Amino acid sequence: MSALPRTAEVIVVGGGVVGLATALALAEAGLAPVVVEAKSFGGAVTGGSLAGIGAHMHGLPEYDLMRAACGLWRDLATDTGNPFEYRAQGQIGFILDPRDVASGETWVREERALGADCRMLTPAEASEVEPLLTGPIVAATFAPDTATVNPFLAARTLLRRACEKGARAFEHTPITALTVEDDRIRGVQTASGERIAAAHVVLAAGPWTANLAAMANVALPLVPRQAQCLASVRQPPDTLRRVISAVEDAGGVNSGYTQIQQAQSGQILFNTVTAPTATPPEAKDQIREVPPGFVVESIDMLLRLFPALAQIELLRSWVRFEAVSPDHRFLAGPLPVAGLWVCAGDNGSGYCRALMLGRYMAGRIGGGASLPDALIEQAGRLYDPARFGEVA
Amino acid sequence: MTARLHVDVAVIGAGPGGLAAARAAAEGGARVVCLDLFAAAGGQYHMQPTQPESRFAQTPQVLSGRDAARAARSAGVEILTRTEVFWVAGTEDGGYCLSACQAGAEALSIRATTLVVASGAMERPLPFPGWTLPGVIGAGAAQRLLKTGTGALPVPGKAVLAGSGPFLMAVAQTFAKAGQPLAHFVEYRRPNPRATARLLARHLRKLAEAFGLLRDLRRSGAERHFGHIVTRALGKDRLEAVEIAPIDASGRPDPARVQRIEGVGTLAIGYGFQPVTDVTAALGADHGFDPALGGWHCIVDPATGASSRPGLYAAGEVSGIGGASPARLSGRIAGSHAAAAALGRAAPDAAIVAPLAAELAAARGFARGLAALYPPLPDLPLDLAPDEVLCRCEDVTLAEVRAAVADGARETFAVKMWTRAGMGPCQGRICGAAIAAELRRAGTRPEAAGFNRPHLPLRPTPLPVVRAALAAERGST
Repeated sequence: MSALPRTAEVIVVGGGVVGLATALALAEAGLAPVVVEAKSFGGAVTGGSLAGIGAHMHGLPEYDLMRAACGLWRDLATDTGNPFEYRAQGQIGFILDPRDVASGETWVREERALGADCRMLTPAEASEVEPLLTGPIVAATFAPDTATVNPFLAARTLLRRACEKGARAFEHTPITALTVEDDRIRGVQTASGERIAAAHVVLAAGPWTANLAAMANVALPLVPRQAQCLASVRQPPDTLRRVISAVEDAGGVNSGYTQIQQAQSGQILFNTVTAPTATPPEAKDQIREVPPGFVVESIDMLLRLFPALAQIELLRSWVRFEAVSPDHRFLAGPLPVAGLWVCAGDNGSGYCRALMLGRYMAGRIGGGASLPDALIEQAGRLYDPARFGEVA
Repeated sequence: MTARLHVDVAVIGAGPGGLAAARAAAEGGARVVCLDLFAAAGGQYHMQPTQPESRFAQTPQVLSGRDAARAARSAGVEILTRTEVFWVAGTEDGGYCLSACQAGAEALSIRATTLVVASGAMERPLPFPGWTLPGVIGAGAAQRLLKTGTGALPVPGKAVLAGSGPFLMAVAQTFAKAGQPLAHFVEYRRPNPRATARLLARHLRKLAEAFGLLRDLRRSGAERHFGHIVTRALGKDRLEAVEIAPIDASGRPDPARVQRIEGVGTLAIGYGFQPVTDVTAALGADHGFDPALGGWHCIVDPATGASSRPGLYAAGEVSGIGGASPARLSGRIAGSHAAAAALGRAAPDAAIVAPLAAELAAARGFARGLAALYPPLPDLPLDLAPDEVLCRCEDVTLAEVRAAVADGARETFAVKMWTRAGMGPCQGRICGAAIAAELRRAGTRPEAAGFNRPHLPLRPTPLPVVRAALAAERGST
């Protein structure tokens, strides 16, 4: 590997999907960024993600941005020959409790009013689009354009493409200090004592972002939250055809969540959390295992919905840490130190937004037009890091 | 219904190390359970025949294994066979909770105050051209086939035994005792009589064993090729022929002197062993890398068998490949200490344990000497075709692994993420050595490449069994 450069126009700290998408957009804008990743590219939150690409049930205020974000993934798949298993599988939002039907109907009605193609399904219709879904559901939502990507290969594609366009990326290069002089960022210092000077530094390190910002005396309201997933041994293709998720009143993951899907490799990925437990801040720096209660709940929900899967074998499990913000939206934009930027706060669904946020950040830093004006205005309003008041 | 047990000491593995540990712990006054995935206690070393008329029924290795299991049971140990531990976790009170699958279908949950891991070793598969052809098996697997079942290899055709290390001679001995013809014996290293004599002179007790191995290698009738390597396995749908070549001064096979062996039914290949560290690694104990000990192994204090994690002990091959003698001795030491710790007593009687430590040091010394005679090969000096499969679970080729390394993967974990190598049922146990070799070629030392950390479940386990065992564990807290 080549040596770390002494200077860069922009340094992106964090080599997950958000950092790599930001690096790609910066490189496309001609800003030749340097990416520094503490461990392996995409090895933390990104690699543990289920990488759902869809706007369904993510809330109306962000809807246009989400649609644009999904379109960017579809376009990237087309432009690159799809080396990252982009598949528009469609998403079923299952409803087990009759009291939740109204909430599903509201989601569908409001999203349709914004031009979405989603609809309600009866249990019979649901088992037509997902034959093994024979559990006691009372209704379901269906969003046919929700897609998934392979989280590892998509991150690798972003990395390779960013490097082709002038980015340089360094793994196993943790940052130990941010250099600030006269309220302006001057660069970063790595664990091996090397310094890289830069006019701009973007902190895109998921649940570690708040620790990095603290190096510049900036307090960010981001806290880590443990999330986890299970995988079965390979099953025949099309055992499951769609992304299966729970319909929740509030949307997002706050009220607990379920997501079930079959990866292109054949493994069935599934998780159910009914009551998120507190995650100590230091947990993200430890190697953690899935809690037994989570495993029991997840197996129960999978087999309740898909009784035919009762005898499959569990293959693996993993834990990841999401970065949670107070209003469950990203923090993307400038920080009170000139030249210091943040792009973090996935709240458990960062994959979908990554390309859109990368474009947004590149536009803010470089000044070019990377997204339509209306979306830039919307993103500026929704993602402003200063929206919680003074953060320094 | 999930079976539940509560014990002072749980021992994982009923091979020489595990049985010794379990017996010592029981003799120290602890309530002990010893778990093993095979149908009979004894492990690989004391492998018990499955048919009473087996030629191996009366061999010293089988009889001593039976005696060790009997002695452990007499001391009060409960031995549970066909029991596969699929998860171990620390409990809030500082103990351990084991989740196991019995007979492939029943859930078992065990609470133990202290834990001894004696999970043994597995063959270290190194890829070579044609290594995935049906008919190519591990040397240890060949030995298991001969010692159990009908005592014959399942396919007709010549048998070729190849690889490197003293275990290869033990397998040749098994061929001889089974009366199974062995056509060729191919050992990478050349004999070093002077160094061998020096080692045996320091360990005279091993002399008879060494002569027995040499005698039986001759008795097997195999054509012997020292300083040779299998360069290729060939066949259309299954193994038909094997090519071997002499090793030149640079350590590489001489392509001009390749010799083809036709009509081969079985190629048993063994380049040594690696410790089975999934339990100790899952529990986060410190591990080290030493080629002479089989690579990654659990670091223990030899005087007590204690790992870096309180209440967790390791014995035998888990703490470094060394064979049955160090396993037995380290098992006794670890079992004594695990029992004392579980019962809240001071350390076991020094008068008993101290001599064991001295014996263990001597036995480890012999193992070190053997490892020096047969230095383990970190990889094979053979060129693989780009489409050769390295990860057999997920069908990942050498070319895919090289592309990932070229794209910036610098550790085993990164290769796994980008290629899926290690994401299948074996969880990297089979392909780990090959991936490490490939990373080494690209400049990453094995110590830096790391290993795939095991997670729940350690082995693929039916969902109902996982659920039942973990629900039982949850209920007890």
